[in-house]
Amino acid sequence: MSSYYPFGRRAAMRGSFAAGMAVLVVFGIVPAVGVLAISFTNVRALPFLPVDWVGLDNYLAFFSPARLDYNLNAVRNTLIYSVTSTTITIALSLAIAVLLNQKLRGRTFARALVFLPTVLGVTVIGLIWTLIFNPSAGPAATVWAWFGADSAFFGDQRIALALVIFVQVWAGLGVSVVIFLAGLQAIPEELYEVASIDGASSWQKLRLVTIPMLAPSITANVLLGIVGSLQNYQLAYVLTGPNNAATQLLSLAIFSQGFGGSSAAGAGQSQGYAASISMIQFVIVGVISLAVLAYLRKREARL
Amino acid sequence: MATMTLRTRSRVRFGLAAGAALTSVALIAGCSTNASNDTGEPSGTLRIVVSSADASDAAFKAINEAFEEKYPDVTVEFSPVPNDQAVAVIASRLSANNVDIVTMNVATIPDYVIGDVKSDEARGADAGVYLDLTDEPFMDNFTDSVLDVVAYNDQQLSVPLGLSYYTGAYYNKTMFEEMGLTLPTTWSEFVTLCETLEAAGISPLGIGGKDSWPAGLTMNAAVQGLYPTQEDKQDLARGLWSQDIKLTDDGPQEILDRVQQFYDFAQPNFAGVDYAAIPAGFANGEFAMTVDGTWNQPTIDAAVGDKFEYGYFPVPTSENADDNKFLGGKADLRLSVASGTKNKVTALAWLDFLTDPANYEAFAATAGFVPAEPDIPAGEFLDSIAVYTSTFSPAWDTQWTGNPNAGPNAGFPFNYPAIAPLGTSTPAEAAEIAEKDWAAGF
Repeated sequence: MSSYYPFGRRAAMRGSFAAGMAVLVVFGIVPAVGVLAISFTNVRALPFLPVDWVGLDNYLAFFSPARLDYNLNAVRNTLIYSVTSTTITIALSLAIAVLLNQKLRGRTFARALVFLPTVLGVTVIGLIWTLIFNPSAGPAATVWAWFGADSAFFGDQRIALALVIFVQVWAGLGVSVVIFLAGLQAIPEELYEVASIDGASSWQKLRLVTIPMLAPSITANVLLGIVGSLQNYQLAYVLTGPNNAATQLLSLAIFSQGFGGSSAAGAGQSQGYAASISMIQFVIVGVISLAVLAYLRKREARL
Repeated sequence: MATMTLRTRSRVRFGLAAGAALTSVALIAGCSTNASNDTGEPSGTLRIVVSSADASDAAFKAINEAFEEKYPDVTVEFSPVPNDQAVAVIASRLSANNVDIVTMNVATIPDYVIGDVKSDEARGADAGVYLDLTDEPFMDNFTDSVLDVVAYNDQQLSVPLGLSYYTGAYYNKTMFEEMGLTLPTTWSEFVTLCETLEAAGISPLGIGGKDSWPAGLTMNAAVQGLYPTQEDKQDLARGLWSQDIKLTDDGPQEILDRVQQFYDFAQPNFAGVDYAAIPAGFANGEFAMTVDGTWNQPTIDAAVGDKFEYGYFPVPTSENADDNKFLGGKADLRLSVASGTKNKVTALAWLDFLTDPANYEAFAATAGFVPAEPDIPAGEFLDSIAVYTSTFSPAWDTQWTGNPNAGPNAGFPFNYPAIAPLGTSTPAEAAEIAEKDWAAGF
């Protein structure tokens, strides 16, 4: 009883798979283990400097009274950013995907439009929105002026994080919509016909047919969203820089403290310290991801 | 028969696949070899990484073109990197040993600093990352007093390309004349001036708050007036390190109070304005003055053009006019040679070329630096501030050594980013937060 294997000799498959695996191990696994090892040392950025084993000192420094407030602020901002942006992205992209699944005129154009932000790079997106939210001359300032208000936008501590979340949602809609569209097109038409015969309204169809059948897509999107946004700092860095307390994210703190460039992160930390924050972030992301995955899989299985 | 053909073909295919994979891994791993050039004529590639600024980038490009003309065998690879990434990029290139000339910034650590608090660059200097240039002939081109300021443990590890002053403000001379305003020499006069401007509907001050560090220039200006001489600043730093002076004491608190007043006089929503937008705002008359550095003069000059006359004066943050006489500055854009450089001859030849007074004069003029070499004609703008720079007064941030074990709010250590609207605190609260973080480092 052999399984169907259509590609001829297995040696070619094994060879190229091994080569690919080698690249992944060398450039993915080895550096990850390396970061774990580095987190127990005080290695610094420049060559020729002595490297000492410091044990758990770096981890203790993360929780030290001098840094705890800053780090907890970063963790709190990261959680708010992650949960809010993922929730809004999924709700919006589900609505958009359902809409774009109907037979509308200009549907293809609308789909391309929704996907366009994904094609732009983070720097381009950051530049666009920085120009839009320019407090003295940008379009957003003009719109705010219609309501008789003005704002510093990214400079205003109260709304900076909300604006970054807004831009993140805008940038992240494309991929989510595509995944949901794929999932929607896999739902058999007969289910909707049966629901109509049973007298279900559109809202009931959405709640009782579409969403349960979309469970795998929802799982995929939620996981991608949460894991991505927990580690995502590029937008916050480009839009508000590394020195803004309101948008301080954990991965941004890692970047600043490991590679400098932030006057507020504290002077000259070792890269060993940055590695230890990385490991702490890994644990946070891992715990949250596994918990979410377990919950969503259970919901999927219930169907 | 068919099986044998298939076997050979797939062996060839397997071989090709494996070969392609190995080659791509090797290419990705990027082994590049350069022949080492320690003696002889300049040749090969010279790789330079510096912090970017429009004016100095243009000046460097002109020098590079002239150097390549003089030595046709040389190719100069010039990579300007934005200020906040420069440290990281330079560190990684030094570690990979694929750079020859870099910017660096290290000062001798004062003896009152306790603990293992050296910056990466200071540790690197100790470990020999930078080439010792003390005995190089081109170092004689520089003014002795400047070389004294940049020496590290009595060695010259860097070439100081110029001086910058940044505790002053550009002001709209034409507007001042039309409104009959004179330059203030004390803090009270400055406040009155700002209030007069506000009453006329003009924002007195422009600050690029979004990047955070431009607001730090106001903090430096405050310290410059309240602690005018180098000794005053060193005493303050020593007191803070020994914890005899707290960040909540009257002196440090007054600095933060001054910063708060600067913020009050700044243009609306300045916390969201980029530093890069300031020259255009100044040129459009959105604000009358801006606390900025002399490095930005070429950019401001280009933005203002013929619209109005502008000048530069030290912001008077002390009530005593004598304390406000001199601008605070630093030796800016210091270049070092990586000790592992594979092209030492070309690197030293390039530095020799750059620091030759004939080439240096044009470089300093384009880059907007005050020349660090004696007897270089300085240009109209720098002549206009010569009276404020006749004595070189190092600014606060060149005299302060931070404690990496202290919390992030005590970095400067005066906590200007926490004051509203950049942060959410009043000056008193900001001082308390900073003192808490500072004390936690001991």
